[in-house]
Amino acid sequence: MNVADITEHLSPPSDPIVMQLILVIFILFLTVVLGKGITLYTQRYLKDKIDQETLNLLLKAIYYGIIIFSITGFIFPILDIDTSGLLVAGGVLGIILGFASQSIVGNLIAGIFLMLERPIKIGDAVNINDNFGMVEDVNILSTIIRTFDGVYMRIPNQTVFTTNITNFVVNKGRRFEYSIGIRYSDDADKAARVIKELIDEQPFALVNPSPSVFVDTLGDSSVNLIVRVWAPATEWFDLRTKLLWLIKARLEANDIQIPFPQRRLWFPSDVKINDIKLSDVLNDGKSTNSPIDSEQTGNATEDITDKGNDRL
Amino acid sequence: MALRIDRILINMFDIYHPPFNLEIEDTFITVEIQDDNLIYRRFFREEEKQEDNLIVNSLFKEKELAEILVLNNESDILINPIEPVNIPKTLTSFLLIEFTCPVMIGPGDRKKIYLTFPVEIGVFVKNKEDEYEIIDMFTFSRVKFTLYGSHTQGLICKHWESDVFTKAPETDILREGYIELDIINDSSTTMEIKQTVFNAYGMKIYYGDDRLTMKASLRIINKLLAETDFSTYPTTSRFKRSMELYTSRKLTLSRTKGIMEFGL
Repeated sequence: MNVADITEHLSPPSDPIVMQLILVIFILFLTVVLGKGITLYTQRYLKDKIDQETLNLLLKAIYYGIIIFSITGFIFPILDIDTSGLLVAGGVLGIILGFASQSIVGNLIAGIFLMLERPIKIGDAVNINDNFGMVEDVNILSTIIRTFDGVYMRIPNQTVFTTNITNFVVNKGRRFEYSIGIRYSDDADKAARVIKELIDEQPFALVNPSPSVFVDTLGDSSVNLIVRVWAPATEWFDLRTKLLWLIKARLEANDIQIPFPQRRLWFPSDVKINDIKLSDVLNDGKSTNSPIDSEQTGNATEDITDKGNDRL
Repeated sequence: MALRIDRILINMFDIYHPPFNLEIEDTFITVEIQDDNLIYRRFFREEEKQEDNLIVNSLFKEKELAEILVLNNESDILINPIEPVNIPKTLTSFLLIEFTCPVMIGPGDRKKIYLTFPVEIGVFVKNKEDEYEIIDMFTFSRVKFTLYGSHTQGLICKHWESDVFTKAPETDILREGYIELDIINDSSTTMEIKQTVFNAYGMKIYYGDDRLTMKASLRIINKLLAETDFSTYPTTSRFKRSMELYTSRKLTLSRTKGIMEFGL
């Protein structure tokens, strides 16, 4: 191989198609770099000024807008592509794609509607089709959620759009409820006051809507109070998991006990427990000396010694 | 730990040059220089009495609330009031003040009342560009939140209950400041006001030796719509404007005004 051959190999390609391709690749490269640069700069500049979801949409719009502009404005003229012909081609292509990729187009359209309707936002805690988690991203074809146990989940937008969506944080406040039993011998008004004072000490227990504490039912073993508390939707879970044990501790500090399930045995006052023979009860069940009016499952030793039928 | 207290303070809002120790109520702030760095500590000291053979011994238990390492030992520390919407965490930029008694104002009237507001205290460190960065926040005031408006469209607000005064009230400036509120009734009917909502983005807090104050206005448009805004005071060397965390920027989408569209 002589010098002339080598220079011939090293010289720039003279074929116009190769030149066009190189130019197109170069422009595409520049466009991507420019798009990334502008989105990065915009992200830094607007990070603290607009909410994350709007920012993400804006960044995507800028990035893809730059690419589309570059393709239609620079690359098509270089490749001598007549864009008016694309309309016809696009129509035909659309029909073909519509039949060939129904699910993809379905997901795409669902994605567009999701972005317009916005039932979920990035960062929301949601239940989509019995999948609980935080929304990580809403893409054009799919929605990404991170389940509460940290698993990545991609749900096609068509599924998201056609199924029930529960958004746990879209409303500003959210309520939770406890049922708390106290002894019959305790003062229910005092218990309600103690619980209300404790709720009042919690910053995230909302003043309005106000919390409510009231006697709900007179149960077998306890007087049951219902405690209802509203919290900001974002703080609901933390407060709900924290408050119950605090209520229990505060009630006990005020000599109000949460009783165990129990059953009381009642005997007429003139009958002593020693007079009852177990064999009598078991044999005929009708012993006149065995006026046991209910079964015993709780602390029998204490109950038997009690007189009368007043309840704990 | 034997702690030497430089100052026991009633008004702690000032610039401090490290190292220093402050005691304020039961809260202690210490800033130590260690090599080329500053160590900022804030802790709560609790007295626990123990009886031993009829002798009562006082033991002090320290509960550390914050410890921060500042990688610069030439920084001054600024302690001053900040917008009262940051503690225990930033959930909202709105402060709702509920009146203990409603206020009536006639159509076209303009009246001035005074309300109290909670105080949150910010600790700032000065960086090399002479800008202040916040490193800690705390409060001695009650902290509660509330919902203003509907569940779907409303606002979560920091909640504060205030008496209504016709003269500037005397307040413990570690716990309460006061707002000089100019009420302008632009509607054609008498209005009853039970609450106001302020936006932290517009707040301008001023402090002096014995007062901590803001100047605001409430313009009533109709029964369901009103607007609150803040204005400035002239400052002196003894009456300063505090460092603000919520500053409105030219391109920000946050409003500085509080729009009350769910009633007064």
